[in-house]
Amino acid sequence: MTTTSKDPTLLLEGVRKAFPGAAGPVTAVDGLDLAVYPGEIVAFLGPNGAGKTTTLDMVLGLATPDAGTVSVLGTSPRRAVQAGRVSAVMQTGGLLRDLTVRETVTAIASLHSARRGIEAKRRIEEVMERTDTARIGSRRVSKCSGGEQQRLKFALALLPDPDLLILDEPTAGMDVNARREFWDTMRQDADSGRTVIFATHYLEEAESFARRTVLIGSGKLVADGPTDRIRSMAAGRTVTATLPGDPEPAVERLLAYDGVRRVELNGHRAAVVTTDSDALARALLTEFGASDLEISAPSLESAFVALTTAGSPS
Amino acid sequence: MNATYLRIDLLRQLRDTGNLMFVVLMPAVMYLVFGVSLGGGEDAAGAGNVRFYVMASMAAYGAALAATGVTGSAAVEQMQGWGRQVALTPARPAALVAGKVAVALAITSVAVLAVHLLGALTGATVDEPRIWAQTFLVTLAGAGMFGLFGFAVATLGKSESALGVATGVLVLMSFVGNVFTPLSGGMLDFARFTPMYGYVGLVRWPQLEGALAGGAGTDELWVLVANFVAWALVFGAAAVAGVRRGRRRQ
Repeated sequence: MTTTSKDPTLLLEGVRKAFPGAAGPVTAVDGLDLAVYPGEIVAFLGPNGAGKTTTLDMVLGLATPDAGTVSVLGTSPRRAVQAGRVSAVMQTGGLLRDLTVRETVTAIASLHSARRGIEAKRRIEEVMERTDTARIGSRRVSKCSGGEQQRLKFALALLPDPDLLILDEPTAGMDVNARREFWDTMRQDADSGRTVIFATHYLEEAESFARRTVLIGSGKLVADGPTDRIRSMAAGRTVTATLPGDPEPAVERLLAYDGVRRVELNGHRAAVVTTDSDALARALLTEFGASDLEISAPSLESAFVALTTAGSPS
Repeated sequence: MNATYLRIDLLRQLRDTGNLMFVVLMPAVMYLVFGVSLGGGEDAAGAGNVRFYVMASMAAYGAALAATGVTGSAAVEQMQGWGRQVALTPARPAALVAGKVAVALAITSVAVLAVHLLGALTGATVDEPRIWAQTFLVTLAGAGMFGLFGFAVATLGKSESALGVATGVLVLMSFVGNVFTPLSGGMLDFARFTPMYGYVGLVRWPQLEGALAGGAGTDELWVLVANFVAWALVFGAAAVAGVRRGRRRQ
């Protein structure tokens, strides 16, 4: 990661947070350190229950850490929120079903403008235009699709023109089209130089939107770095091919090849993880008479599995 | 709290016709059932007649019910995560509570007006018109306290049943608070410490100046004011705590 002399937009130091559970306190965030610098777009990745939302709640001042410090733009999260410098699209809820889209934006804008002197009316038109919610302005929230509701929440988040924007699984529960639509809208805003942190468990979203990925599991930092490097941490590519005849002896021979880590057999279809995919592919096609050969790069998911299971005894 | 936000919230409340009918019509029906059908309405009581006393009492209950009913519906807002959304704005919890109470009082004024209008039509009288005006204003302003109560129950309870619980507790508080049937003896001593007592005593003040029904004695003004202020502070603090709690995930 490149170091920078600029002050971090977000700084977490030794942050801990536990919740009371049936069998004693459950630790959601367990000593997290993280620094995010101006203009960065960071994916916050982890499985359900990894502590993503709890961490982001503390960044937004919606929860307070049990230990450690959270500093946003050099001040406390609550102050940063009050100054309109940090804003968020939260995972679920956050909208009143019986308000219309325009009423919702107007109501939240009115709560902002008191302090920031924003020209409320113009700002409302601006964000509704940018998030493509202007044309559904008179629609009740309850009548909006999941994608439309998320775009509305995105509009609300843009109202104060924040320096730091938090998106907590903004596309959870959306279908593929709605997700693409949401990120298209998001991308149009990306050039504004805003710092963006988004939590997701859709790996392809991290791959296509964030240059930096922070992986957390069980409330701890698992990995932090450029998204493509995290991706390459899962060693090797997977070569998949259909083997002719009895595949069992072929598997024995494959395991003896240089660079082969693992072979999985599913009927006649073999999936081979290797660090030298070119040599293996050549061998499969010529020596083994294999067909339907495919080579795939490691996904962030396999990187995640590799990294989170690395230290644990198996 | 700003006018734009209040206007949108008020419009929203007016769309909820079910809740609106309940909070506006219920007190009027209660007055017709318990106030008008009762005998002895023409007897003198302080600076007016008994019917005015019953009307003022029912209007007080009605106002408390309306204020509780409107702010109590905030439970549904909390469940929809609105508290978290609003927590991402500079709005202060106390301002949000005040705004909600203001909206509740706007609707409450209709409920009080309905009961007073019925009272006027069914023979409730006082010696001077200013008593009527004073009674109306005290009823309305004091109901703000129950707006705080409803909001606190809604935000701390955070379930759809919160509204039912709040209005149920209100009926109970009205009974033990000397609102419906005149209390005496030990019950009356206890009543002085309950939330409805100070409020309804102040509502009746323009007419009775502290005199209690059934010749149970006279209250000093400071007792009623102290009761009212103490409970208003308790409910207010609980309401602000409720806003803070509403920031958490559901």
